[in-house]
Amino acid sequence: MSAATGTAMASRFGTFALVFGICFGVLYVVCDMAALPMFTYHPATERLDLGFTPPRRDEGPAMYWYGWIANSALGASVLGLLAAALPEKIRGKLPLALAWITPVVLLPVLIYSLKFYWRWE
Amino acid sequence: MDFLLDYISVNTFWTILSVVHALLAVALLGALTHQAASVLAPPRAGAAAGFVTHFRAVSGSRYAAAVCVLWFVVFIFGAWIYTRYRYHVRILIEQEALFKTLGAFELKEHLTTIGLGLLPVYWHLWKNARNAACDNARKWLTVVLAVICWYAFLAGHVVNNVRGFGL
Repeated sequence: MSAATGTAMASRFGTFALVFGICFGVLYVVCDMAALPMFTYHPATERLDLGFTPPRRDEGPAMYWYGWIANSALGASVLGLLAAALPEKIRGKLPLALAWITPVVLLPVLIYSLKFYWRWE
Repeated sequence: MDFLLDYISVNTFWTILSVVHALLAVALLGALTHQAASVLAPPRAGAAAGFVTHFRAVSGSRYAAAVCVLWFVVFIFGAWIYTRYRYHVRILIEQEALFKTLGAFELKEHLTTIGLGLLPVYWHLWKNARNAACDNARKWLTVVLAVICWYAFLAGHVVNNVRGFGL
């Protein structure tokens, strides 16, 4: 086992937690940028639609954030469970540093995804 | 919750939720800041027992569970208020063309969500605080979450100031 990994993290829960955290962030950014919500919520009418639905006429804005979270949580849970089922030898090789490097790497991607807002008007 | 609206106005209801959200965020900010200080600059042996030494001398592992619970609860309150924000606050800010304010708030929403997903590994790293192999990851993940929390707090504060009192 390398110095960058810990025996504690090689436990099934430790592996699940690490892979869940990494995948949740990555999937969330993918769902945001590719417009892939599990459902769309229309707050003015409290209406829920499956998948991506554009705002309905005279029914206010549509919200996709909850749907992105649901998709990311589902995908990250599946990947986390699969990783936890791997043999201990492989689980112990996952670099712990990815837990904090992932959000740092995702930050410029998120800032870029919001480029619509960074304008001088 | 409708029965509450027999006693208080809709605006008061959402304002109470917003204030509770902010107060819980202050508690989370304090806990994470203490914890981040304890891992970034632990007190030296024999250091004078002043304010700064006490500030960073906390036992970080004792804060981990509270940080997880507070982050989750603050997030739930934020997600609840977000529905109101979307069509009572955001639209007004759009009409005023304060796009950078909106962008800063969108970034807050994204970062706090990513932080939420990192809570299980954060908790696990602190649960194994005696495992030296986890020290570096625990330290930097705590710092990352503290930075996200500070950013979220300030962005939320700015939006609250732009919109003014009463949602």
